[in-house]
Amino acid sequence: MLACPHKDIVVKLKMAKMAWKNHILPILPPRLQNIFDLMSGQAAEELEEIRLRAGKVLMIHSHRGENFVGLSGVTSSLSQAVTVTAAELQSTLLAVVEYSLYARDEELRRGYLSLPGGHRAGFVGRVVPEESRVKLLRDISGISIRIARAVKGAGEALLPQLYCARQRRVYHTLLVSAPQAGKTTMLRDLARLFSDGDLPKGRPGLKVGIVDERSELAGCYLGVPQLDVGMRSDVLDGCPKAEGMMMLVRSMSPQLLVTDELGRPEDARAVEEAVNTGVSILATVHGHCLEDLLKRPSIGYLLQQSLFERLVFLSRRKGPGTVEAIYSEETVKSRLKTGEIGHVL
Amino acid sequence: MCFKWAGAVLIVLATALLGNQKAIQMKQRVKQLEEFRLAMRLLMAEIGYTATPLPRALEYVQNRLADERVKQFFAEIVRQLGRPEVGDASLAWLRAIETFRGQLALRTDDWPLIKRAAAGLGGLGRESQLKQLEAVEIQLASHNSMVAANCVRSERMWRYLGMLGGAALVIILL
Repeated sequence: MLACPHKDIVVKLKMAKMAWKNHILPILPPRLQNIFDLMSGQAAEELEEIRLRAGKVLMIHSHRGENFVGLSGVTSSLSQAVTVTAAELQSTLLAVVEYSLYARDEELRRGYLSLPGGHRAGFVGRVVPEESRVKLLRDISGISIRIARAVKGAGEALLPQLYCARQRRVYHTLLVSAPQAGKTTMLRDLARLFSDGDLPKGRPGLKVGIVDERSELAGCYLGVPQLDVGMRSDVLDGCPKAEGMMMLVRSMSPQLLVTDELGRPEDARAVEEAVNTGVSILATVHGHCLEDLLKRPSIGYLLQQSLFERLVFLSRRKGPGTVEAIYSEETVKSRLKTGEIGHVL
Repeated sequence: MCFKWAGAVLIVLATALLGNQKAIQMKQRVKQLEEFRLAMRLLMAEIGYTATPLPRALEYVQNRLADERVKQFFAEIVRQLGRPEVGDASLAWLRAIETFRGQLALRTDDWPLIKRAAAGLGGLGRESQLKQLEAVEIQLASHNSMVAANCVRSERMWRYLGMLGGAALVIILL
């Protein structure tokens, strides 16, 4: 196992603490707009998620936990919390789609929409199926607005472990964590750092190809990245990962391919193919430990093939982005051999 | 005597002008209905081909129209969409109709057709939205061809009527 440079350092969410208001307030109905406009301090700075449910109280989430929201801001009292109406949900949905459901119906079918600023809104409601596929989502009953925060510098401490200065390339790396542990934030910052490069430190900028299937990584809005992913990054927004990776390899000759949440068999095949073309891979996957990854056939296959040279395990033990362990290719091999695949902590 | 003739000329000129005004209004009505029809086609292209959201699609449509008043009608919808209390494209369209009802050359029987475009606007999937706008465009086309045929007859009639009405009045007064 490699030395963990900032095992005890909490990656602080210090960037763009209140910038979300510029993008989120315009999509909220007037009453909720006022509430969030007045919100300040820690609650606003650390806000990670806004939960709107029809006929239920308004809730927010941060890494400290959940809170109710009343007319005068965050409250711990359920009776003081405001209740969200179905009309407010509908109004939020229409504002998110710019009063044009037809413009985003494909995304809505997948259950989420990207917002300006790289934020994301997830939806639940009544599904209208068609031939075992989701035809459309109607009668929206819940909206989850996830606040995207670019934490510049989050990945800096990892760079020496992930970059091979001799070969001037990035090790094939997989970032592993449970949801909401800062994987995407870390991945975005690493993409930025590798893309911008740092010549004085002997790390030239690389051509980075980003396949952003869920518009979460670069936070593209109308195809334009809203979050800083580096000056040499090319983003394929909303494109299926496997297809996107191959498209980028053929069209943009990247030196590093970045993508979020591998999982499907076709993703594994695309990773294998990309690695064989000489492109470095930097990706994320859900999981806590090697055992979790091995249970997933496509990821397990990639690990058995020793395609990844670095595995970085993240958690939110000391805040999102806490680096728990970094495994080298050899560590993975030996752990697979000895059966030490349990929890990394 | 000189004043009598001057008055007579003035009367004929005034009634001819009135007749002419009426004829121009009729022509404008046809032109504006045609502009709305073109707007529907442009809007359908924006929705069908690029799925552009309404605020931008309506701006695009507005920039491609020739009639200043109809252009302003579409600008008004975009303006209404920007108001938080409106929050719905149908309502924005209906509010624009209320604002422009007296400012366009359209008549009472034209507005229900324009109003139909508001039904479900922005609240439907792409295919349904296109079908809905196409239906309005077809209705506008048939309505306008009727209005245009009427206009050719009535336009000439109003011009003559203005001139001859003035002349008749002068004869009676003299």
